This record gives sequence, structure tokens and C-alpha cells, in this order.
Amino acid sequence: MKEVMLDCFGEACPVPLVKAQNKIKELEIGDVLIVQIDHSCAMKNVPEWARKDGYNVEVEEVDDGEWEVIIEKTK
Amino acid sequence: MTDDKKKFFDRVKSNEYYMRWGKNAFPYVTAALLLSLFQIVTLAVTGNPWGVSGTFAYWGAWLFEAVGGSVDKWYYFASTGAQATLEKGILNHPESWRNVGIITGALAATLIASGFKIKKIKSMKQVVAAVIGGLMMGYGARLALGCNIGAFYSGISSLALSGWVFAVSLFIGAVIGSKLLVKYFM
Repeated sequence: MKEVMLDCFGEACPVPLVKAQNKIKELEIGDVLIVQIDHSCAMKNVPEWARKDGYNVEVEEVDDGEWEVIIEKTK
Repeated sequence: MTDDKKKFFDRVKSNEYYMRWGKNAFPYVTAALLLSLFQIVTLAVTGNPWGVSGTFAYWGAWLFEAVGGSVDKWYYFASTGAQATLEKGILNHPESWRNVGIITGALAATLIASGFKIKKIKSMKQVVAAVIGGLMMGYGARLALGCNIGAFYSGISSLALSGWVFAVSLFIGAVIGSKLLVKYFM
């Protein structure tokens, strides 16, 4: 089980979403992907996509206007 | 910061009403209803449907006039309506006030949610894409006599066929744009 950071600071929608979708394909089941974002609309569409695909998702506010979307690849 | 103040803001941060009204984004349906309501108010008060980008053309014209230029002979500003708007000036232009309101409102919303951040420019590619994209959107919106607010949103809500034509074109443009985005930004 490993943890992968995906730096999407400074990227506007839908770049973080597409990057996260591509990255999670490379991961094994049980791995955790942490998407770092500072674009508030990515805070909506990244977790929405991940939950719809059935992964465990948590959003953490790390600073003013900065979030980490933590996605566990469960299947 | 004193302890009292710190405690106060800690309490606000977890307050249910602050979370609902200030911190978290409104659901799409709430936002859609508010937009519909305010565009009706706009139409009733100013007599014109909601538009955004046409105002920037006037801002450009006023700026150009302020440094000694003249747009009297420009085809875009040739109509008597456009000349009257230019004559009355920016302070008597409802659309200008509304655009300023959108910008300050957006700033206030992000400050209230303590989500304000000056973002870093990640690469030269972002700058090039923003400049080219901005110029094309601005110029295209003037050719189409409206942007996705004036021509699309207000067009459809006025039951105009042109709004639907704009919608189809917008969709085609979005598909091409997404392909370019994936090709150059991934």
C-alpha cells in the first residue's frame, strides 16, 4: 500500500479531475491518491467523480483556499 | 490575537449556519434559482436582459477616449444606442455597476469562506493559453453579439431561437476546447 501525491496547485478545472482520473489507473487496489488543489470547483468535481466510482473519499482543508482530496482505491 | 478573539473565531468556524451560508458552496439548484431570480430583477430594473461581456467593450471605449482616442467612427459603436451609452458615461451604466458587483461579490464570498489565495502561475503554457483564449473569447463574443450570458443564458430565457443556436455552437466549441486541453495540458 502506497501513498501518491498529485500536485494540482495552480491548475484550473477540469485539469485536476482529468489528472486524478489518469493517475488512479496507475495505482494498485489499496493505494491512496492525494490530490492537492487550490481551485474550489475541483473540490466539487474531484470528490464527486471518486465517490461515483465507489472509492473512499475525504476532503481536507489544509490552508486558506487549499485542499487535499484523499482518495483510497478500494477496487 | 487575544485568546478571546481566537475562541470567537474557532466557534464561528464550526457554527452550523456559517458552514451552510458562508463556508460551503450552495447546491447547484439553489444557485440556479438565485440566478433566475436576479436575472428577472435585472430585466425589470434596467429594461435589458443580463449581459456581461458587452460591458468590457464599453470599458475599452471609455479607456480609449480617456487617453484621447475616439470610437465615433467605429462600426461597433455606430448605433445611436451605443453612442448614447458612451455619452452618459460609466457611472450611469447599469451593466458596469453589475459587473463591479459580480467581482466584489465573488471576492467577498471567497473571503467569508476564508478561501482566498493568490495562485501561482505554473507554466508559460498557462499564460499563452489564457491570453490567446481570452482574446478569442472576447472577440468571438462581440462577433456573436453576446457571450454565454448575454447570448446564451439571456437568449434562451427570452425564448429566442438565437439562444439555442448559440448553445449548439457553444457545445461544439467546448468539445474542441476539451480536446485541446487534454492534448496540451495533461
